[in-house]
Amino acid sequence: MIYSRTITAFVFCLLLVGGCSSNPRSTALDSSLNASSISDPFEAVNRVTFSFNSIFDKSIVRPTALVYRGVVPGFVRNRVTYSLDNLNMPVTAVNNLLQGELSKAGIASSRFIINSTIGIFGIFDPASSFGLVVENEDFGQTLAVWGVPSGPYIVLPFLGPSSPRDFTGLLSTSLLDPMYQIGSDSNQNAFRSYRMGVGVVDFRSQNIEIFDDLQNNSLDYYAAVRSFYNQSRESQSLNNLETGSDLEDDIFDEFEDLELDDSYVGPDIEIEYSGE
Amino acid sequence: MQSYIKKSISAIASIFILIQISYASNHSSEEEFVKTFSDKAISILGNTEISEQEKSEKFTSIVMSAIDLNLISKFVLSKTWKNATDDQKERYLKAFKTYFVNSYANKLNQYSGEKVKIIGSEVKGKYTIVESNIIREGTDTLQINLKWRILNRDGDIKIIDLNIEGISLIIAQREEFQSFLANNNSDLDQLITKLENINN
Repeated sequence: MIYSRTITAFVFCLLLVGGCSSNPRSTALDSSLNASSISDPFEAVNRVTFSFNSIFDKSIVRPTALVYRGVVPGFVRNRVTYSLDNLNMPVTAVNNLLQGELSKAGIASSRFIINSTIGIFGIFDPASSFGLVVENEDFGQTLAVWGVPSGPYIVLPFLGPSSPRDFTGLLSTSLLDPMYQIGSDSNQNAFRSYRMGVGVVDFRSQNIEIFDDLQNNSLDYYAAVRSFYNQSRESQSLNNLETGSDLEDDIFDEFEDLELDDSYVGPDIEIEYSGE
Repeated sequence: MQSYIKKSISAIASIFILIQISYASNHSSEEEFVKTFSDKAISILGNTEISEQEKSEKFTSIVMSAIDLNLISKFVLSKTWKNATDDQKERYLKAFKTYFVNSYANKLNQYSGEKVKIIGSEVKGKYTIVESNIIREGTDTLQINLKWRILNRDGDIKIIDLNIEGISLIIAQREEFQSFLANNNSDLDQLITKLENINN
């Protein structure tokens, strides 16, 4: 009880901060521009936590994901992905409402109703064939739309990459997610563990080779993961602001300068690439 | 509520039909390029009659002819490129090419029957962004959004970047290099040596 009160207070403070910014749209864009220079004042501590998480991943999560992918047939794994996606719809609807996206909130609710019934507890996805498609929204994204800056990059033990904004979003999920209000306390806990545990394994099993390659080929694995996380969260946050790729386009405009730089053309550049 | 759902379903359905029609009647040359490239890549990856070695060579060769590696190499180094000596530039370009082939082009083990569906394209400054979805095998709707950043220089079309679900691979590479340089006294020689070590 004290726990949820603390969260409420925390969220409230953030709301106040958000309320102060006069123009949420420009603030969100500013924060995204700042993200390009990567705010990581806790890099030293983050790197330690990151190594710890990597060991945890290597010894527990990755092996579990490998077994899951090896033992469970693709058909069933696809059902699991669908069911997890379906369980995200109520909280997506709530967050779309909070962001003023009424039609998206409607689509998320319709998806949940259709897929939980006709789609048999969400293991099939008939809603998509009716054209009801919507992206997941969480409270971290809602805070971003409200103009709350993400704050510095932080790596949490076990949970991985985050930011104060996203961590607040994560904590508030238990208050905002209608799925958390269902059933008794013990049911809720079992349900939460299922979603979290299976969610992690489902995500990891889809990305085994990607992370393996990234780890093997990186000069700086920590920096690569940080970039992936920041870019991914920025684009998710901005999907309801329609300013999505401005930052990316700005960065790519730098190509122009570099192209004009003909001070050096390497002898090895125009080589044929086959048969190497 | 029900009529609302019906209305939104029919509205969304008609938008989808419109998108389909406009796509069918009006492919840009960049969309054609991505379509041809991904079809070729998938046919190589899905070919069970050639050896892994041959597969890897063919795949690398079509990737290399479709991208502008020279430009990408400079871009990921950002400002460091401009201050580099000619000797450093030459070593770096060689090392990065091998690194690139190993870490990006050579991704054969990841292919498991996905299909690429082109959705449309949009001009952004000097680039064209071609949007597509990769559809997971055995499903109709589990998909990954993939955006191709294309540079068309008077008909000479090259891929510059891939954006997977909001993550630009080239920007990630660039941030990784920048972080490495920041932690190693901005010494380009150390970065080149590290690349060469990873390559060997």
